[in-house]
Amino acid sequence: MIETLSAVDLVARGFAPLVVDFPFERHYVESIVLVSLYVSLTAVAISTLVGLPVAMLIGFSEFRGKGVVVALINTGMGFPSVVVGLLVLFAVSNQGPLGAFDLVFTTEAMILSQFVLATPVITGVSLAAVTGIDDGVRDAARALGGTRIDVALVTIKEARYGVMTGVLAGLGRAVSEVGSVLIVGGNIASADGTSVTRTLTTAIQLEARQGRFETALVLGAILVALVLVINGIVLRFGGGRT
Amino acid sequence: MQRPDGVRPRQSTDGLAVSDVTHGFGDADVLDSVTLSVRRGETMAVIGPSGTGKTTLLRLLAMFHEPDEGHVAVDDADVWGLSERERLRVRRRVGMVFQEPALFDASVLRNVSYGLHIRRGWRERLRSWAARVRGGDRRRAVTEALAVVGLADAGTQHVDALSGGEAQRVSFARALAYDPDFLLLDEPTSDLDPRNTAAIEAAIDTARSRGLGVAVATHDMNQAERIADRVAVMLDGRVIECGPADRVFNDPGDERAREFIDGELVY
Repeated sequence: MIETLSAVDLVARGFAPLVVDFPFERHYVESIVLVSLYVSLTAVAISTLVGLPVAMLIGFSEFRGKGVVVALINTGMGFPSVVVGLLVLFAVSNQGPLGAFDLVFTTEAMILSQFVLATPVITGVSLAAVTGIDDGVRDAARALGGTRIDVALVTIKEARYGVMTGVLAGLGRAVSEVGSVLIVGGNIASADGTSVTRTLTTAIQLEARQGRFETALVLGAILVALVLVINGIVLRFGGGRT
Repeated sequence: MQRPDGVRPRQSTDGLAVSDVTHGFGDADVLDSVTLSVRRGETMAVIGPSGTGKTTLLRLLAMFHEPDEGHVAVDDADVWGLSERERLRVRRRVGMVFQEPALFDASVLRNVSYGLHIRRGWRERLRSWAARVRGGDRRRAVTEALAVVGLADAGTQHVDALSGGEAQRVSFARALAYDPDFLLLDEPTSDLDPRNTAAIEAAIDTARSRGLGVAVATHDMNQAERIADRVAVMLDGRVIECGPADRVFNDPGDERAREFIDGELVY
């Protein structure tokens, strides 16, 4: 007799061993995801708050050395993350300028390093986006009685798809990098398996080195899913017509 | 005293003026000792060949730039002698429509309400933004401005759905909606078909009848003859003729102005 199994039965019988033998603690994964999100989203938020006004200032003003500044920003987009990690480690170490804040192996130091990595990306892409907006649109905003802030807001709104792309690229750079967060964060988890400074990328690196490839793959899948979800949210709210 | 349509007539003295203005970009002077005024309740056409400084003149009147020499004044107040805050207040009494519509990537309603929106305080702006998210913001002034250009039903459309002529009419409504004292139009119909041109000209007439001072830069002399009370002829950055439209077109005092009007000036 052929036995018909419900979905619940299937889970209970067929997939139960998989669930039971899942090669990591749920709490461990959740804490890693939370640390990753906290560090990357905070760093990208600060980078956006800094990078966007800087892009506007550079884009709409003429000054000596503007070309050099733009070249430096573009260079920063490709700056090696391990070098950034090293520099941030020097900065937050006891002898460094931020030594008094005791930031070594903390999420704050990781945020700082991701901020350094994401800011040139967000600034550079936003700069290209805002300077690509037709002068006529800014003139119109001004002619209608707009202040400098009003004109800047209109420009950002018109360039929103490009700015969103910059923020996403910055987030991609932040969430997927290993080198700097490993150096300044130390990849620490507490004895009960709660992540302290362990992110998805550093955890994947650790799990793979220890031969726990299933865990590394699952963490990788979560990382990819996170990036997809963030992209979806941005497309939904940033890409919709008003 | 109110007119039958309920619109309060504005004071008919003074106006928007440049006096003895010289302005250039780089080494070249685009405007050379130009003196001109636009009074409320009149349409002034500024005509002349391309590249003669009409657009620069309108941009100075709109207070985009401070002139190299001379003064820009509203009701005798030198606008560049005012504080930035006071100048903003004066600037907000002037509207400008460009040759290209330059609409924002949004609905017609949002475009036309922009001038009203930025005149509110930040708290009020946020409140109105929240109201708009719920779909409730349809201000009377916006609807009226759209009606003036014959697009009363176009509010919910996105600007991408408009033809070039409709877009320019929306641009006109956008400048009209916040009820400025002066309207500056830079070649507003140069790319338009006759139907849309007629709609814009009718809107200019409505604006003037409401008491606005309108300055139109155009190289279309037929249009200038149709809409203008006064005409200024510009050549090589100078105003060579200025006066009532009838006189300028029928009996210009300057020989080069006559040649330009008669189409004999090769330029």
